[in-house]
Order: sequence, then C-alpha cells, then structure tokens
Amino acid sequence: MWWAITGMALITFFNRYAFFADFVRYSPGAKVKRFLSYSSYAVLTAIWAPIVFSVDTQTGFTHAGADYLIGVSVAAALSLLRVPSIVVVLTSAAVFFGIRFVI
Amino acid sequence: MPTSNCSTRSASGLALRAVADTLPLCIAVIPWGILTGALAIQIGMSPLQAQLMSLLVFAGAAQLSGMTLIASAAPLGAIFASTFVISSRHLLYSVVFRQHVTQLSRSLKVIMAFILTDEMFAVSEAHTKRSGQFSALFALVSGFSFYVIWNVATLIGILIGDTFKDLDSLGLDFAIAATFIAMTFGELRRFPVFIAVLASGCLSVLLKPIFTDSYIVIAALAGMLAAYVLGQEGET
Repeated sequence: MWWAITGMALITFFNRYAFFADFVRYSPGAKVKRFLSYSSYAVLTAIWAPIVFSVDTQTGFTHAGADYLIGVSVAAALSLLRVPSIVVVLTSAAVFFGIRFVI
Repeated sequence: MPTSNCSTRSASGLALRAVADTLPLCIAVIPWGILTGALAIQIGMSPLQAQLMSLLVFAGAAQLSGMTLIASAAPLGAIFASTFVISSRHLLYSVVFRQHVTQLSRSLKVIMAFILTDEMFAVSEAHTKRSGQFSALFALVSGFSFYVIWNVATLIGILIGDTFKDLDSLGLDFAIAATFIAMTFGELRRFPVFIAVLASGCLSVLLKPIFTDSYIVIAALAGMLAAYVLGQEGET
C-alpha cells in the first residue's frame, strides 16, 4: 500500500512538473500556443460529457436521465448568458436535485 | 507608505478574487473528496494512508482509479500505468504554464506543480485571459484553496468510512458537470472554442468504453486539434 501511494504521488508530480524543469529547453511557438490555448475547454468537456451522455450498443447515444439533461441545460443556458459560475452551479444543482429527490 | 499599502491591498484583493473564482469548483468537488476518503477506508487503507493519498497524490480521478485497482489486488505496474495515463493531461497544463513560471524560483515551481490541477489551471487561465497577464499569486491561492477543500473533504470521508456506501449513486457527479459547463460555455461564442467543446465532448463519450483510462487525453487532444485546424478563420 505504501509503495502504491509513493509511486502514485511521484507519477502525478512528474506529469505536473515535467515542463517546469530547467533542463527542459522546449518553449512553445505561436502555433503550439494557439493549439494549447484550447486545452482547458477540451479537457473539462472531455471530463463532464461522459457523466451525462454515454453510448449504448443497442440505442446509440443515451443519457444519464431527464434530471441530468434538464440540469445541464439550465447550466448551459445560464453560462451562455455569462451568469457568474457560482450562480450557475447552485441554480442548476438546485434544479437537478429538485427533480431527482422532490418531484 | 501609500505605494506599499496599495500593493498589499491589491495583492489581498487578488487573493480574494482567486478564492472566489475557485469556490464553485471547491463546492463541486466536496462530494468526490468525501467519496475518495470513504472508499480508501472501505478498501482497507488506514486513516493515515487514506489522508496521505489526498495530501500527496492530490488527483481525484487517479486516486479513485488507483484505489479500485488496489482493491482488486492489481500489480503495482498496472496501478502506476493507470495513474500515469489518467494524469497525463497535466503534461498539457505543464507546457502551458511553463512560460509563466520560468522566472520563478525552483521551490515556487515545485509548489506550483504540486497544486496544478484541472481546476486551478482552468481558473488561472481564465484570470490570465481576463487580466492580460499571469499572476503567480492568483494561481497559488487558487491551487491551495482547492488543496485544502479536497483534503478536508477526504478527512470527512475517512471519518464517515463505511456509513455511506451508496454515495456515488446520489447523482453527486452532476455538480462536476455543472461546474465544468460554467467554466467553458461562457466562451462558446468563439468558434474554435465551440469546435473544441463539440469535438472533445462527442469523442470522450464515444471513446470512454474503449479507452477507459486514456479517453480524456485522447478526446481532449483531438478536440484541440479540431479547434486549431477548423478555427483558424475565426481567430485573430
């Protein structure tokens, strides 16, 4: 167990520190910077999308339930209107848990 | 010393802004921190080992996956390979942050790397875009706020232990989805961002059943490439 924790800690730190090290000389040019500028949008979406949607061999694209669909729709609509993130999270979570546990 | 007072005020204002910007993500991650702590106890870790996992590894998805493998008595090599693949997206963040941290001392670089998470990266990049320049103070405060909340949530999970076995069936993952939508959809009017979101979202859903450990990185890289190629006309 101790080896697992130590190894995992070293691996996650390596991935985070890799390009900070002084001996790494690589510096991204303008094109690479533009490519990398989309990283947070792409990674965050790749994390949340499978929480709500999935693929089924029988039905194709499917979803986690009406509560998820309505909740993320509310979050998406409020975000597009540039409502502050904390309001988006609290409002959509209230709608989601309201549908899930009250209705 | 009006200048000093002014800079102290602006530094504390910046720190407060960092905490405020990270707050929604902290709220969303609390259930996952609790789940991580509880799961660690359920698979037989001691409370100290469970807490050290969050204190030292500090990577939710990698921790949950690692613990699942430990529970199934998987060899260390499989646990390490899974950890590397799942956390390899941090390599991307490391490349982006490199330009911001080159002037920092080595110890600050180590600290910055240690607290570099999806959440800290996204919040810090949004601040850099908004203000026109990277702030190490903002990134550090954001990262540490998240670190503290993650570890407190883990501790609650350790204390709860076996009590809540169905914590993951309560739909608590919705908060993660809502938070990440809030952090990305505000920029959806920019065509390349729209492409990045659409491509990485569709691909992650399609690839998850096939590449259970690496689908996030593969889908994200493909989404970034699609945004880079198709979004050239729309970006200046």
